[in-house]
Amino acid sequence: MIRLNGVSKQFDGKRKVVALDSVDLDVARGELVSIVGPSGSGKSTLLNLIGGLDRPSSGKIEIDGRDVASLSDDDLTRLRRDKIGFIFQFFNLLPSLTCVENVALPLHLKGLPRKEIESRARDLLELVQLGTRMDHLPDELSGGERQRVAIARALAFNPPILLADEPTGNLDTHTGAEILRLIHDLHDRLGATVLIVTHDSGVAQSCPRTVTLRDARIAGDARR
Amino acid sequence: MSERCIRRFGGALLLPLLIAPVLAQDARQIVEESQRRGRANSQRYEGSLEVTGANGKVSRKSWNYVRTGSYGNSKAIIRFTSPAEVKGVALLIVNHPDRASDQWMWTPAIGRDRRIALQDRSTRFFGTDFSFEDLEERDVDQYDYSMQGEEAVDGAPCWKIESRPRKGKTSQYTRSVVWIRKDNYVAARYENYIKDALARRLRQSRIENIQGIWTPRLLEMTDLRRNSRTALSFEKLEYNVPMNDNDFTVQALRREQ
Amino acid sequence: MILLRLISWPYVRKHLLRSILTTAGIALGVALLVGMRTANDSVLRSFNDTVDRIAGKAQLQVSAGDAGVAEDVLERVQAAPEVSAAAPVIETSVETGLAGQGKMLVLAVDMTGDRSLRNYDFDGGDEDVIDDPLVFLAQPDSLIITREFADRNGLRTGSKVSFETMEGARQFTVRGILKAGGMAAAFGGNLGIMDIYAAQQVFGRGRRFDRIDIGLAEGVSIEAGTAALQRALGGGYEIEPPSGRGKQFESLLRIYNTAVSISSLFSLFIGMFIIYNSFAIAVTQRRAEIGILRALGATRGQIRALFLGESAVAGLIGSTAGLGAGLAFARSLTGVTGRLMENIFGVPQNAQEVSLDPRFLVGALALGVVVSMIAAYIPARSAARVEPVQALQKGRYQVLGAGENRARRWAAAACVALGLACLWAGAYRPLAFAGYSLTVAAMLLLAPFLSLELARALRGPLRRFKPIEGSLAVDSLIQAPRRTSATVAALMLSLALVIGQGGVARASYESIRGWVDTTLNPDLFITATENIASRGFRFPASMIPEVTKLPAIEETQPVRTARVQFRGKPVMLVAIDMESLGRRVRRIVVAGNIEEMNRRSAAGQAVILAENLANLEHLGLGDMVEIPTPRGGLRLPVAGVIRDYSNQLGSIFLDRKVYIREFQDDTVDLFRVYLRPGVAPEEGRRQIIEGLGSRRRMFVLLNRDVRDYVLGLTNQWLGMTRIQVIVAVLVAVLGIVNTLTVSISDRRRELGVLRAVGGLRAQIRGAVWLEAAAIGAIGLVLGLSAGAVVLYYELQVIQRDVGGMPLAYIYPLGVAATLIPIILGAALAAAIVPAEAAVRSSLVEALEYE
Repeated sequence: MIRLNGVSKQFDGKRKVVALDSVDLDVARGELVSIVGPSGSGKSTLLNLIGGLDRPSSGKIEIDGRDVASLSDDDLTRLRRDKIGFIFQFFNLLPSLTCVENVALPLHLKGLPRKEIESRARDLLELVQLGTRMDHLPDELSGGERQRVAIARALAFNPPILLADEPTGNLDTHTGAEILRLIHDLHDRLGATVLIVTHDSGVAQSCPRTVTLRDARIAGDARR
Repeated sequence: MSERCIRRFGGALLLPLLIAPVLAQDARQIVEESQRRGRANSQRYEGSLEVTGANGKVSRKSWNYVRTGSYGNSKAIIRFTSPAEVKGVALLIVNHPDRASDQWMWTPAIGRDRRIALQDRSTRFFGTDFSFEDLEERDVDQYDYSMQGEEAVDGAPCWKIESRPRKGKTSQYTRSVVWIRKDNYVAARYENYIKDALARRLRQSRIENIQGIWTPRLLEMTDLRRNSRTALSFEKLEYNVPMNDNDFTVQALRREQ
Repeated sequence: MILLRLISWPYVRKHLLRSILTTAGIALGVALLVGMRTANDSVLRSFNDTVDRIAGKAQLQVSAGDAGVAEDVLERVQAAPEVSAAAPVIETSVETGLAGQGKMLVLAVDMTGDRSLRNYDFDGGDEDVIDDPLVFLAQPDSLIITREFADRNGLRTGSKVSFETMEGARQFTVRGILKAGGMAAAFGGNLGIMDIYAAQQVFGRGRRFDRIDIGLAEGVSIEAGTAALQRALGGGYEIEPPSGRGKQFESLLRIYNTAVSISSLFSLFIGMFIIYNSFAIAVTQRRAEIGILRALGATRGQIRALFLGESAVAGLIGSTAGLGAGLAFARSLTGVTGRLMENIFGVPQNAQEVSLDPRFLVGALALGVVVSMIAAYIPARSAARVEPVQALQKGRYQVLGAGENRARRWAAAACVALGLACLWAGAYRPLAFAGYSLTVAAMLLLAPFLSLELARALRGPLRRFKPIEGSLAVDSLIQAPRRTSATVAALMLSLALVIGQGGVARASYESIRGWVDTTLNPDLFITATENIASRGFRFPASMIPEVTKLPAIEETQPVRTARVQFRGKPVMLVAIDMESLGRRVRRIVVAGNIEEMNRRSAAGQAVILAENLANLEHLGLGDMVEIPTPRGGLRLPVAGVIRDYSNQLGSIFLDRKVYIREFQDDTVDLFRVYLRPGVAPEEGRRQIIEGLGSRRRMFVLLNRDVRDYVLGLTNQWLGMTRIQVIVAVLVAVLGIVNTLTVSISDRRRELGVLRAVGGLRAQIRGAVWLEAAAIGAIGLVLGLSAGAVVLYYELQVIQRDVGGMPLAYIYPLGVAATLIPIILGAALAAAIVPAEAAVRSSLVEALEYE
């Protein structure tokens, strides 16, 4: 499903920073993988590359059998829209939109008929147990609820790949556990390939496979 | 355009016909004879005019009239004497046998003369019920005549003759009917039709013999569409008075009389 | 569309004030464009409407400029077989003296023949409401008015109306009332009809008509009719359809129209900067949002379309508002413009109705939208280029790259070089405009760099003045050059425009004053109207000896000024005794020898041209000037070129003898009167009025009055262009408010931290005010310098293209000095609301991580 071959990424600023250094990684369809490592080890960069938000400096990335390098920006965007769901630490909801509207946003971007969008967004919110909060603004929700909205949004197209960047990082322990359960649950029910970047060893241990990054390289790849 | 408009002022209307043996009963000949009998070398009168509008408003004017010259080549001057607003206004009409007459007007208040540019013969003559065409001398050859029988007007037996403009000759009227008295060849009544409607009716009365010319001294024109009427009467009428040709010029027009 | 509702609308709602200010820029530009243009169009339309209505069925009109046509021409015209009807006309305007009624257009015709051309639909359905046609002709005081005018003023048949004539104020008697509609709607219903021969007298036309209206015989085409009349009359007459008069008036209006259009577009251009600025700011502020959208699968095209869509909506709202405001503005401006045109060109105006040209309005609307979209294009493109990864990281803002700055400087240098090249390349008009545009482009390209440098330079003084507030203010400018540079550029442009306009105004005023001082040196002027430009009334030649024989008078110069067609343009023919003029007036010679030009022109062998005409028509010494005249045409060489500002389209001076001979017109518009030494002007005036004034309508003006009049008119003309300057400044102020609002919302956290660590409200307020003042100051420095350049180009353009008059380069220091407090004051005023918002915002909220 996801295949990285000698992928490197460096940032050219005032100082050259190597964020990833020839990383090889294979993730099969339906796997649930946690990625751990200290700050600056390249976790987020790895996730961004897989998610097609960024392109590697060198190496090859294949998503669902397609070489990312060969895609135009728009094609990459479409791949991202249709195949990949993102869950962010800071939720990244648009504060001016209601829950339903936030969830519906990617569907609008694809230009689906409005009726279909509305019912799908509501179904998704039901799925993450937010059926009662549909028309609330993000500000009116708790952190956990916001993350549920973000997850619902990530599932808009029922994507085969779900990428979560510190999904519990901004939540208290109890809520974090709830979100984690939800992700597991979704993984089981939808059969999506899920990658979770996390600091939390509890989160990591709940996943059948854990990839450890250190100094821009893969330092460990453990299956449980 | 303005060809013969004013000519008639001193023409057929004002120059009634002499009594003469009836030589011809033909309609056209009667009309011709009627015109012939009215002719004189010169003429002078004091006219007065009374226009009664549909609303009953009456306005009056009076003037002096002189005319000289032979038929078709005459010159005439009309000089208004009242009311005050038009006193001194004078018209000079110079007829030409071969072309349109020339007309000038002198307005003392403005202190200058002007040519009158008349471009429509159906226009009313200065606010009266006469149109310029009504005042023209009718050229016999421009019409076809037919005898409609005999009828008395005010007790006097008349020929009733219809005239229609010949093809190519323009007139505001579709046809006219004239009643010509058998005794003196004076036209006693005209009725002018536009389409089938009677538009104007003229009555000529107070017919007197002046210096051998039978002359109506009262003309009453009724405009049936506007429902207004104009009465024109002549005083101090004289024929064949000696005249000086130099008095019939634009320069003479300027001289107050 | 859905994105506009979901994404843009909440943003707009949140930044409502700023959004309004942004669209206000476009709104003002469009309002000005629509207002000015509509007012001008309305004046023109009302003029054309009046021409149409009183032309009746006339297909052609024969005239000879202002000289008029002699009476015998009428007979020659009538004799032509192609002509079915010919009617003489005199047309002039008079003050009615009735409160609130203004002017009346008097159409004088020959009622005995005029009906074949014009439909006098008299009230009551028939002609007898001209109470008595004979009385109408017999009495020179006869007047026919319209039903509308009668009702407005409670007039009936027999009522008296008085107005000024050549013989002083005279009473006229209403002798007829025209039914409403048709001809009666001409000149806003203020139409009076009188007898043409009476009009000749009361309006001093002698034995001449202003023109002859002609109906052609059936089957004769306009072209054939024109040709036939040309053959019948020879040269020297203008034979044109009635619409030709509208065209002539239009060409008079052209200069004014050009000035108005240029300034309106300029303010729209400035409005464009405001839009650009707002959108550039919005893109920066909304980077996170853009990043989320991109992460969720929005393509670059979708992001670009979103911002362009926003700008289109902003443009549409702005131009719609501008359209409304412009039309309201036009309503009050139409009358003003009409009066100005009347005063300058002497063509009577009574424009009341605002006439709308739907195509122009749609065009203005579209222009607003397009301008807005063009302005937003660059920000929209940079929005589309936002990298989602960077955008999602907090707190990183784009800074102007060093490379970009360098590129701009190179481009600016190229523009300057090209601009200079265009300038050297010479007189070719498009090149002059290209040079102008390139220079403006260079200034715009340099604005960000220069404003950054100036901000750095300001840092020291401001920190010494107020250590904390000063550095806060300046650092805000330096750290976010993008935020300020467009505002500074807009301010710079508008100030440059103000300086340019001010300089042109000043130069025009100075030049005209210099000309007034040398040329308008007679002690007294006798005119037939209060308005010197109007030639509706004229004096007869017989008045000349009457004036000359007065004891106080040493010499008098009768002047006849007539607008004639010269090379298709209505220029002014000035007929005067050249010998006397040469002796009395020391003219400013541009080309030629003064003695020779005086001698030859006095002998009737040559003409003298005004400098502007010579420039516009590229005429020089020895060139032949050909003017059509009733005698078949005048052909005289140019003996000299002098500086003269009496007419914007140019004047030709020729000797009065020649004029009388060629145009058979010996009337006089104006007497220039020189008094005997020692006679006070007031005494001279008394003598003239006592000697002649009882018999004639006349105005005896002192030299001082005429000077004041001319200079006042100059000011009035310049005043119209000043409106645009006000708008330009307003637009720039909007930009400052906009920038400050953003600057404060961007730095809410920073300001919050400052307050949290003990910053006083007064200090925060001070920082915001100082920032505003700094933007104002930078804009002033750049704008006042750029103005020097703009002024140079504007003078060039005016000289080459519009006026043909070289104007001296004088930097308007006075204007610059007034601008400094105005702009700084405006900047501080603009800072009030944002500063209070900064001070009053909740500390907790400000510190909260968004």
